[in-house]
Amino acid sequence: MRLFPAPEADLTNGRGLPARFAAICRVSARGERMAEGNQLFEAIVNGNAKQAHAAVETALAGGAAPMALIQQFMVPAMEEVGRLFEAEEYFVPELLLSGRAMKSAMELLKPLLSASGQKMKIRVIVGTVKGDLHDIGKNIVASMLEGGGFEVIDLGTDVSPESFVAAVKERSPQVVCMSALLTVTMPAMKLTIDALKSAGVRTQVKVLVGGAPVTQQYANEIGADGYSENANGAVGLVKNLFAGEAA
Amino acid sequence: MPVGADLVLNEEPDPEAARNHGATLGRVIEKTARRWNTPLAIPLMDLRLEKNDLLARIGINRAEAEKFQFNAPIDKSRLGILCEKRVAFACPGSVARDQALDYIATLPDLVPVGMAIGPFSLATRLMADPITAAAMAGRGIAATDSDDVELLFQCLRIAEAAVHRSLRSQMAHGARAIMICEPAANIAFLSPRQIHSGSDVFDRLVMQPNLRVKSVLAEAGCDLIFHDCGELIDLMVEEFAQRLHPVILSLGSSRWLWQDARLIPKDVVLYGNLPTKSFYSDGAMPVEEVMRRTEELLAKMKECGHPHILGSECDVLYVPEARDAILKKVDAMMAVAAPEELLVKAEG
Repeated sequence: MRLFPAPEADLTNGRGLPARFAAICRVSARGERMAEGNQLFEAIVNGNAKQAHAAVETALAGGAAPMALIQQFMVPAMEEVGRLFEAEEYFVPELLLSGRAMKSAMELLKPLLSASGQKMKIRVIVGTVKGDLHDIGKNIVASMLEGGGFEVIDLGTDVSPESFVAAVKERSPQVVCMSALLTVTMPAMKLTIDALKSAGVRTQVKVLVGGAPVTQQYANEIGADGYSENANGAVGLVKNLFAGEAA
Repeated sequence: MPVGADLVLNEEPDPEAARNHGATLGRVIEKTARRWNTPLAIPLMDLRLEKNDLLARIGINRAEAEKFQFNAPIDKSRLGILCEKRVAFACPGSVARDQALDYIATLPDLVPVGMAIGPFSLATRLMADPITAAAMAGRGIAATDSDDVELLFQCLRIAEAAVHRSLRSQMAHGARAIMICEPAANIAFLSPRQIHSGSDVFDRLVMQPNLRVKSVLAEAGCDLIFHDCGELIDLMVEEFAQRLHPVILSLGSSRWLWQDARLIPKDVVLYGNLPTKSFYSDGAMPVEEVMRRTEELLAKMKECGHPHILGSECDVLYVPEARDAILKKVDAMMAVAAPEELLVKAEG
């Protein structure tokens, strides 16, 4: 594997879509060829927000179903982005550009999903723990989870255990993701898990933790359900936890 | 030597008061240097100070400053205020830092060392999503075509002005070397993919501002100590070592210093880089592993023949629940480095 195989090249143009996505892209919800899906996929993989937005507009005008666009093109595109990240062809900036493109497309689709009563099956709450103002890692996780087809509620930074508990009670998520960048703020993860237990809601949610100083061992010690060292791993973790209940 | 002033500060009866009291802070820094037998009086690595002072200029108080981020391009009048050269610190920590330098400067056996966040790292703290903006700039999107890119370059400009004010003040108070900390100049913020494809994003956002920092220091005869504990590619290390050419280059534990030595001129001393961020955990980093890594690092650095100061990968932060675990490992690291000296002390 070359670390930087085709710097800044369009990963799909010229080489075509990966085979498994090329097949998807030929068929729309109505069985018609759907070039817009191809463009949407490419726009997200290449992190082009304007192109993603335009592709969704065109696809919707052509009668595409919002959920089909998400499941058949957007989620696979973010999976491809995750694969490129794992292969060290993409880095955090590329993840964020793709996340931005995904978000731009979702802005058009969310109102339509709400109007039709459709929603994502898995809801995830993310937040940086109390005392910690670092939000970049948390934002990347939120972006990748959204790209993975999950509904994400971002509580922001410096989130107290009480706020996590309140959000679990009010929003009924299946997953709580906590982030901490500093050794001095990590203990707030345990305090939050304790607060979830005291409030009687710990068993309702899976708790995942991450951040620079956090380790699998620490996650085990504080009673978290999972740990990931990067955002892509967090997506995989949530998918594995809810295998069979696709987003 | 570890960058350990925070550990010593927290031995004070009231650490927060000591942080903001020049004379007490000066004694803490002196005590830190003497405890670990170094002439370098390295202060607290408090990278909030320049941001606090910068935002105070537009009426944002210290309590709000930590969370404050610009979310749209800054208007001209505010930019003017934020870029003013006049030094006027509102943050008690900055005043205390300078007074502590005054105190250290009176001690003939210690070198007064200053500390400041680097321009790029400060800029990243002034906006919500600096990574995407930097990535867009790296794709050649101009400030005139994107509010995000425009804001990034504005933040960089005001950050650079704030850092220059901090440097001038610290030098006026006796700093003979200043540690510039650029932890955000790493592969999470700046894409290696873009850099290797020929983008000048790293040069524009990191190198050019820091070369100007170097000039400010050099004009006053003050040495540059450059610290970046982020994850780096070789090109970044080369640029720091060869173009910035600091007297000391401090890197994080993701780097193998003995391999980096080939990228670094012999007159740049390497500092570091034990994984002190993991010292809090006996499970993740047992004391035996600290000793093994210290022995390995010392042996390999001796073998490659590059000047090296054994130390921490960053500042060693005080963690109340893990104080003993951290101190035990810092002591173990230092004991491996100077067993004979410690033995003499113990016998004495």
